[in-house]
Amino acid sequence: MACTFKEIVKEANEGGAKKRLAVPSLKKHHLDILCRAAKEGFVTPLLIGSGKAIKAMVGKSPLASLEHEIVEATNATETAVTLTREGRADILMQGGADQKTFMNAVLDAKTGLLKGKLASYASVLQLQKPGKLVLVTDTFLNNFPGIVEKQLIIENALGLAGFLGIDKPKIAALAAIEQVNPSIPSTLDAALLSKMSERKQFGKAVIEGPLDMDCALSQAAAARKGLQSVVTGNADIYLVPEIETGYQLVQALVFFGRIETAGIILGTVKPVIPDLPFLSDEDRFVELALAAMVSNKGVSHG
Amino acid sequence: MIRSLQDVSRLAKEKGPKKLAVLSPEDEEFMLAVKRSWEVGYIEPVLIGDREKMDRLADKVGFDISRFEKIEENDRQTVSDLGIGMLFSGKLSIVSKGQIPTSYIYRSVIRSEAKAGSGMTVSVMSLWEIPGVDHLVAFTDSGVNIKPDFKAKVEIIKNAVFLCHLLGYKRPKIGVLSSQRKFGGMMTSYRDYQLIRKVAETGGLGECEVAEGVSFSDIFLGARGRMKSHEEIDLNKTPHVILVPCLDTGNILCKLDLFLDVKRCSLTVTSKGAVCIPARSDMSDSIEGQIAMGVVVADRMEKGVN
Repeated sequence: MACTFKEIVKEANEGGAKKRLAVPSLKKHHLDILCRAAKEGFVTPLLIGSGKAIKAMVGKSPLASLEHEIVEATNATETAVTLTREGRADILMQGGADQKTFMNAVLDAKTGLLKGKLASYASVLQLQKPGKLVLVTDTFLNNFPGIVEKQLIIENALGLAGFLGIDKPKIAALAAIEQVNPSIPSTLDAALLSKMSERKQFGKAVIEGPLDMDCALSQAAAARKGLQSVVTGNADIYLVPEIETGYQLVQALVFFGRIETAGIILGTVKPVIPDLPFLSDEDRFVELALAAMVSNKGVSHG
Repeated sequence: MIRSLQDVSRLAKEKGPKKLAVLSPEDEEFMLAVKRSWEVGYIEPVLIGDREKMDRLADKVGFDISRFEKIEENDRQTVSDLGIGMLFSGKLSIVSKGQIPTSYIYRSVIRSEAKAGSGMTVSVMSLWEIPGVDHLVAFTDSGVNIKPDFKAKVEIIKNAVFLCHLLGYKRPKIGVLSSQRKFGGMMTSYRDYQLIRKVAETGGLGECEVAEGVSFSDIFLGARGRMKSHEEIDLNKTPHVILVPCLDTGNILCKLDLFLDVKRCSLTVTSKGAVCIPARSDMSDSIEGQIAMGVVVADRMEKGVN
């Protein structure tokens, strides 16, 4: 079981063959991270775009002496997605591609990388106390998921939790309050999901909800509100009600708590890494390792 | 200018004791907080709730409540109505929630504001004290409005600006959060942000400024920023007020104090005084701090500090 980012990197390294990493529209700031990952030996970058421009950039960097490929393409994003879909790349990162173009290409129902009905994004956070990795989802992709989408988001997250070695994931379905209030839709969804888990509809996973943040984070706080659950104070996965909360929650943890975070798009045929501004270079490196680990462990992930 | 909860505590001792109604102090932590707040001179409590429970708990924490006014009432809405009624009739200047769901209190406040014709929107501000940051940071609305529209957001900001002015922040900076990304369509919260900026430019929000950007990344790194390492984070860039798009976001974010190195205190500023809104899971130290904040805010409201 991976409890730290270091262990994710270790698992990526021990996973066998190097993963081919599609990188459209390389930018200078990617070079250090790509060099590091290539040196560690878990990826071979496929640099997609104008060969001349890429060569000029790579030529001046240590990546020049490491294994990499350059793929000449006028539409780097489209080519990167195609290579990934066709299995010629194992991981896709956004690189320097425009985010809207990239995400539209990834999520395109016909030509994109969707595996099932829904892709979602999970942030993986490294907590010092307790020393463990936790998932927060969906923190980037789905705006206002309903109950059907939330089921799929959970299933995607359970896939990743499995790869991280979390055997019986405990899931906190977050809401503003811990009581079911028909005026607050997130409490209804959380209660339904909780009931579904009681009926073993998510296998060994236990979902508790609705939980407000104090009950989710602290067993003592939950007990004061009369709530007893194996999830309180010990969640492995935090399901956020919608994107307004998810996107800001993970950033609040990064900026106010300096929590290390990586993330990955799930529910796609291959791991996909969007470019988020609030990740440090160290976290971006771990993110590549996480994608390599997922690629190693899952023929089809998510 | 109040920069920390230590400042709040010092001022509350100076300005207290003030009469405060406690709604259902029927839990050891709440009773302990009331006891300590009395002992340090913040408050003179009026205890409203289940008499037997209050007596038992006071006994348990070694608090002689015989000298204080007590009102026996078991119905929760009535408990809340009584306390808020005393606030609006001017009998006291602060109310604090005890072990009672907050919805009862909001209902009482909303009714009382309507009756008073104040036109005031009820909202909750959860203030964070963040180590190294030279001001308190208010997350709002963390308690009442489930999905405020643009108009409600304007009123929520006005309430927060009013509180900031009471705390001595002359021109508070407001961060308006939205999860707008470069894909996924236009979020309502982003459209609200754009409108709020326009209102602020014309002075419609009072003396304050609206920060550029809608996420913590925008605030700390700039719109096109990119973080190399956590060492680059300068928390002093945190706005004085963070307007959240909805209740889920507000409540979930503000309670990160259980995980982060921050302290929280929550309150509602009504047209007639302060209502402390500790969470039912808060411990006595935290509740005591929130009562101190109520005392300081009530004092400044009485004196018309604005």
